Amino acid sequence: MSSRDPNLDCVQRVDAAAYALGALDEPEAYREHLATCTTCQQEVAELQAVVDTLPTTVPQARAPKALVDRVFARARAEAELLNAAGPEADRPPRRPNRWRSRPMTLAIAGAIAACAAAAAIVINSGSSSHERVISAQIATSIQGAHASLYQIDNRSNLVISGMPQPALGKIYEVWLNRGGPSPQPTDALFSVTSRGSGSVAVPEDLHGVKEVMVTSEPLGGSSRPTSPPLIRIVLPA
Amino acid sequence: MELAARNDANAFEVILERHSDAVFSLAYRMCGTRPLAEDVAQESLLALWRNGGRYDRARGSVRTWALGVTHNRAVDALRRVGVHERRRAREENIEEHLPAPESTDGQAIANVASEEVRVVLDKLPSEQRRVIELAYFGGFTQTEIASMLDTPLGTVKGRMRLGLEKLKVVFATGRSVHELA
Repeated sequence: MSSRDPNLDCVQRVDAAAYALGALDEPEAYREHLATCTTCQQEVAELQAVVDTLPTTVPQARAPKALVDRVFARARAEAELLNAAGPEADRPPRRPNRWRSRPMTLAIAGAIAACAAAAAIVINSGSSSHERVISAQIATSIQGAHASLYQIDNRSNLVISGMPQPALGKIYEVWLNRGGPSPQPTDALFSVTSRGSGSVAVPEDLHGVKEVMVTSEPLGGSSRPTSPPLIRIVLPA
Repeated sequence: MELAARNDANAFEVILERHSDAVFSLAYRMCGTRPLAEDVAQESLLALWRNGGRYDRARGSVRTWALGVTHNRAVDALRRVGVHERRRAREENIEEHLPAPESTDGQAIANVASEEVRVVLDKLPSEQRRVIELAYFGGFTQTEIASMLDTPLGTVKGRMRLGLEKLKVVFATGRSVHELA
């Protein structure tokens, strides 16, 4: 009886290099194999250590200051909101205290169905600052997406999950509907991560704003919506 | 990193100072255009901020983690572009003709270890180096590479494995690539 590791001569070991390089066409199958094959686990670990050195061969360039400033501003805004709202802040409201039903003011708003998650409002009265979280209405064309507007005093952040990434050449744009004939564009343009999460600071005081909307627009944004809203947040009067 | 993972924006600022150049440089190398590189770098840096709690010190440095996140984001972005567009860009060497962003000579030149890796990589047989670079920096799958190079898939797999194995031995033993050929 041999004590030899049955995986020692694993034929799938040949895929370890491509897996470490991220070049396997179906990495999930190999990942499942890795869970049970110690030979391939060791091979991948050793080759991954080599692959991890490859980025160091890249000529170094200075990250644009505007990019770093933008990222830091986003992080700081999220930190303020999350720290103020507590550990439950990035979770959906657990006890929506009322349902809102409000006439849609835009013709294009027909694209937003009476979706499962109507706007739920949570007023956090346990703090000296005015805080609330408003759930969004999501277009029925987007399955599984959630969005909430976090407001503390006059600062607002839109936090999104489960959202598909914008199509090639497109970006999401935030609009403010003040009840006029067309919504007001903002400079809040954003994408989402590959997991569908993202957040964006709504750049203006929302006093007098009836709705915050998000549409998909060409890169650089638009002055008027060119597509139906994907997200609508109806603000309480 | 632990502080940044607890929504400490000031701690995250330190992470940004230390790693944003490396993140942007990798994104730029992979994407080839500045706008796409900026998008990828921004997504990557925000992912570090939002997912800081997932960082596992036992699995490597913050720099390694940050560059791994950036690589994944860049591959996602490149694959959204489509294989034909990426292939055309590579074949026309568009990346090499783009104006370089402001370089940080001091930090790059001072990084002797990085230079050593580059030298070793350059000394690999060109067919091995090419498949490694197409896979890692180009975001191509092995099947796409086989098609691009009009080479059997098994040969591509073999070149990837041989190339990485040689790099592993060189790093582990200090022997030259030529000794392993």
